[in-house]
Amino acid sequence: MDSHQLRRLRSALRSGVRGIRATPLIFALSVSSMAAGLLLFGTYLLVVQNMQHVLERFGNELRIVAFLNPGAGPGPAAVAALRSRFESLEGVSSVRFIDSDGALERLRRDLGRESGILDGLEKNPLPASFEITLAPESRSSDAIEALAADISGSQGVDEVRWGEDWVQGYSRLLRAVVWLGAALGAFLMLVLCTVVAGTVRLALYARTDEIQIQRLVGASGLFVRLPFYLEGALQGAVAASLAIGLLFGLFQLGLPILGDLLAFLLGPLAPAFFGVPQIALLFVIGVTLGIGGAVLSLVKLEETR
Amino acid sequence: MIQMYHVEMRYPGETYGLRDISISIERGEFVFLTGPSGAGKTTLLRLLFGAEHPTRGQIVVAGRNVSRLSSASIPELRRQIGVIFQDFKLLPQRSVFENVGITLEIAGLPRRELRARAWSMLRRLGLGHRLDHRPRALSGGEQQRVAIARALVNDPPLLLADEPTGNLDPDLALDIMDIIADAHARGTTVIVATHDPRLLERYPHRRLVLDAGRLVMDRRPESIPASFRQVSRPLS
Repeated sequence: MDSHQLRRLRSALRSGVRGIRATPLIFALSVSSMAAGLLLFGTYLLVVQNMQHVLERFGNELRIVAFLNPGAGPGPAAVAALRSRFESLEGVSSVRFIDSDGALERLRRDLGRESGILDGLEKNPLPASFEITLAPESRSSDAIEALAADISGSQGVDEVRWGEDWVQGYSRLLRAVVWLGAALGAFLMLVLCTVVAGTVRLALYARTDEIQIQRLVGASGLFVRLPFYLEGALQGAVAASLAIGLLFGLFQLGLPILGDLLAFLLGPLAPAFFGVPQIALLFVIGVTLGIGGAVLSLVKLEETR
Repeated sequence: MIQMYHVEMRYPGETYGLRDISISIERGEFVFLTGPSGAGKTTLLRLLFGAEHPTRGQIVVAGRNVSRLSSASIPELRRQIGVIFQDFKLLPQRSVFENVGITLEIAGLPRRELRARAWSMLRRLGLGHRLDHRPRALSGGEQQRVAIARALVNDPPLLLADEPTGNLDPDLALDIMDIIADAHARGTTVIVATHDPRLLERYPHRRLVLDAGRLVMDRRPESIPASFRQVSRPLS
């Protein structure tokens, strides 16, 4: 940037600040409406983020269990062959073999004080099984279903279980939230852009004389527009900071009030606030919206001489 | 400095602002543009600084064909032209100093040079004590002097003045005209639109007379009676 451009930028900044000081109400109106929109959008992002955390957590626990044919049980060679086959399948992260005795022992542990009911068993009814853990990229409902079908076709496998009802239900819910959120987000962006364009236009009307005079004394289109772009960017930055601050405040206030509901929805996971990338994203969205609104409202300015 | 060839300005509804105007104005000339209200004086000036496009004909200002200039090139042309308006067109929220400095700010002058030039121009026009005042706090004559300072601070080769004394009392009008005459004496080409006969009598310059959008008379100083040819007052 040469000294002439630097002077121009400084002059535009001064002009933008002067514009804000000349029309503080319009600035406040614009910032508050943008902040309200960004707050809604941020709330949606926060909900989706926490739902995704839940899915990730359950995903970590998600596994396919392949029960082997009951009876005398497979020999070590058959177990090794099946293990090797399952490990070679795409999307499989780890494979663990549990023999009949191991399964019974685990059941006894799970039953705890009521494990006595197992004492009456004449022989162990539980089949040996393989627990197959999935790689994160294969935890979608469709991928698990395909993998389960592949595993169930293996020789010696009697039945395959993978908690299909829960996974499918939660995936559907998450998909719905994401789509609904995308639609809501697009709608909000449109509304926000219109609001910003409207308020910048108000500022533009309030400064029509100034713009006209600047034009008459030889101001270029950029000289006239730059203060409005900077003002839009500033509005967006202030609105985003306000929205993030408010959201954080509401998050902290809401945690104790909604504790039980959140515990039901999220299980043992503690609700998490945004990290730096999400805060930066909201900030960028705010600034982009501010500049976008200014660009929209200044389109017609080019046509005037 | 200025050439107009068969220029026509027609508005919707077959209303003519100008009809078939062809004139040539030399560098350093002082020209009065006169005629009754609605004759087309303001339209002609607006065409010269690119505020409007002619519907027909060609306009060349300082070697540029204004009728073919793109919107993006208009600002560059305007930086070569100082314009004074009857209603001053000052920025009410800005100080006298800022109103004058804006021309230099747009031209991209460094802050220090901007300050020095704006201050010097305002002092020359007797406004050195009014730098921080808002235009509203000034008299009509002072406001017009600020407008003149804004138009001249960039040393433009061409000065256009649209009824610069229209809102002022006779004494102030002469003061303003003396400032403009002083700019002319320094080499600026000047076009003043006026229908004030006192100014025309006092300053024996070329007169272009418009009527209903047509050029009806182009009177050079030699043809102006000697009794009208007075030497303008020196700048006080």
